[in-house]
Amino acid sequence: MTMLGYQNKVLRLQMTEGRSSTEPLRMDFAEKYIGQKGLAIRYLYEELPPGVDALGPENKLLFTTGPFTGTGVPCSGKLSVAAKSPATGTINDCSIGGHAANTIKYAGYDMIIVEGQAEKPSIVIIEDEKVTFEDAGELWGMGAHEAEKRLQDRFGREYVFLVIGPAGENMVPMSCINSDYYRQAGRGGIGAVMGSKKVKAIGIKGTGGLSVADIKALKDKVIKYQQEDVHQDDNNFVFDAGTTAFLEACQDGGILPKRNFSDATDEKWTEYNGDVLLSKLAGKRGCGSCGLGCGNFIQWEDAIVEGPEYESIAVAGPNADVSNPYDILKFNQVADDMGLDTISAGDVLIWAMEMTEKGIHDFGIRFGEADKMREYLKLMAHKEGVGADLAMGVRAASDKYGGQEFAMHVKGLEYPQYEPRGSWGMAMAYATSDRGACHMRAYAPNEEVFAASIPPYTAEGKGQMVYSLAEFNAVKFSVCICDFWATVTYDIMADLLTTVTGKEWAPDDMGEVGRRVINIARAFNQREGFDRKDDTVPPRIVKEALASGPASGQMIPREAFDDMLNQYYDVMGWDENGRMPEDLIKSLL
Amino acid sequence: MKRLKFTKNLCIGCGLCAQMCSANKEEKVWPKRARIFIETSYDDGKLVYHDHYCTLCGICVKSCPEEAITLNGYLQVDPEKCTGCGVCAEKCPKKVIRIREDLAIMCDTCEGDPTCVKVCPQHALRFE
Repeated sequence: MTMLGYQNKVLRLQMTEGRSSTEPLRMDFAEKYIGQKGLAIRYLYEELPPGVDALGPENKLLFTTGPFTGTGVPCSGKLSVAAKSPATGTINDCSIGGHAANTIKYAGYDMIIVEGQAEKPSIVIIEDEKVTFEDAGELWGMGAHEAEKRLQDRFGREYVFLVIGPAGENMVPMSCINSDYYRQAGRGGIGAVMGSKKVKAIGIKGTGGLSVADIKALKDKVIKYQQEDVHQDDNNFVFDAGTTAFLEACQDGGILPKRNFSDATDEKWTEYNGDVLLSKLAGKRGCGSCGLGCGNFIQWEDAIVEGPEYESIAVAGPNADVSNPYDILKFNQVADDMGLDTISAGDVLIWAMEMTEKGIHDFGIRFGEADKMREYLKLMAHKEGVGADLAMGVRAASDKYGGQEFAMHVKGLEYPQYEPRGSWGMAMAYATSDRGACHMRAYAPNEEVFAASIPPYTAEGKGQMVYSLAEFNAVKFSVCICDFWATVTYDIMADLLTTVTGKEWAPDDMGEVGRRVINIARAFNQREGFDRKDDTVPPRIVKEALASGPASGQMIPREAFDDMLNQYYDVMGWDENGRMPEDLIKSLL
Repeated sequence: MKRLKFTKNLCIGCGLCAQMCSANKEEKVWPKRARIFIETSYDDGKLVYHDHYCTLCGICVKSCPEEAITLNGYLQVDPEKCTGCGVCAEKCPKKVIRIREDLAIMCDTCEGDPTCVKVCPQHALRFE
């Protein structure tokens, strides 16, 4: 049956020829993968032959909505941005907040596919069905914030923009895409893919409406879930503190990384914690359709950011041995403006600090040097001087200069800021994530540290635990509901999906979709040659014990890591090399 | 008489008010066809509020040349009398009236039980 809640239209932007076309959405894909993450990966599995150059014209950049996008379903305002990653060579689906997702849907599209490569730097302006290609002109080379401001002044605030900074233009494999100034699709060099197509910005204005199966029930359920489920203490911390709340939780739990993951607590954490940063709160702003409003708009002298997110604070703070809040916020702002992922850019800088201090190679930057971090971000974005090597990420830089023992990455994607020796499941989550070290695929600290319902320093049961967490997030990011509606259940998702699409969805269907999404991502990566040898853990985690905090003395023995990996492959039905059988792959298509 | 009240600094710009307003009135989720337009945006490093909602000031009632609009607790437009001339929309100080197919479309506070207030997650909108 036809599912409602979709616009049933895909917009293709063929940059090589500077023309656009539309086609119906593959509803056979949507029935199996629903939307956003899952749908985007299914499309890329179909359309990208193995081995394409991630920065070549053959790669495709997909902006994908889902059936909940634009409907008012709580916390459904995020947009999937996916392509093959130039950082890892894996599939890479990112997620960006703000208002782009809803606007694309109201413009009449479920998905925008950017293909080919423009001859000259370009912008694309989409006003409902009207699509215009223009020279980027003076915008090319500009910081993302200034470029968005110019676009907003010219086209008006009814448009939302997806913009890259200089890092994306220069195809730095850790560059991001910005929207609404302060939101990013950050990881895996997704901005470099946009830059490789010579697209500086896409502007979208959407004035249309959206049909759902049962509009009256939708209205009642949106109000009901908003009042009865979204706004409870387990979710409301997001409004009050955003992810700054994780600083205290990670310090107390012994998983706050310090000095390039040398330790996992920081005695100076109160100098830059949420209370301090939020003392400069200048306003609150959420994504479209979201009542939780995690965006804390902070102005600290000339440092302006929205968030600031735990990841950025931890990497530019304790992990760099910096404790001045202004320095942390300014790092965040410069990275955003340059169009660099704060996690990867921060990680490569702290690796360079350790390299310098250990005398392995002098990168000219040491722990605590916040001014230099800002200067280096600009060099990295432009691939200039010392920035040219660092811009390629810790894997490439350590292959060239050494220091692989403390190069913190999986598959070439730098480590997020949750120290796995204090949360062993997190090592497994990073190792098995579909795009390298990512904290959004399975979030183990909740079980192992914050709620402390599962013992953290053991391999036992971790394969199943990580799978369950990954399955849940895979569904959540496919329907799509933001991570921050933490209390949402399969019951609620299935109920809302039935209301929106008109097709009956049962809670059990949700788990099946999640498993399918994990598998199609793995199938994509397997086709690219990835298997067990790539599901790794950095040597530091298995060789060096932590020195302080609750996890003091902990490291993850190699056998324990291998044990967790075996468990995970068992749960997934993959062989001992982490490879999927052919009949499993066939069942996904 | 109860009216919509909007407290700017509680608004997070989620747009649920217009989404659910249109869901209630248009059989579609169609924010551009809502009877309330409240949005925020960043401009020059500042958070800016754009608030267009009916305050029941009654100027539309007084300015209508056809006497098509009445205010009895909430606004009603008589489609038989309304010619869609647009005087009400022009005079509306909050710029919240639209003319579509020769008819003035305006907020009737869902006949005294506004959907936007029920869905507003941070209680930036109240009816009092």
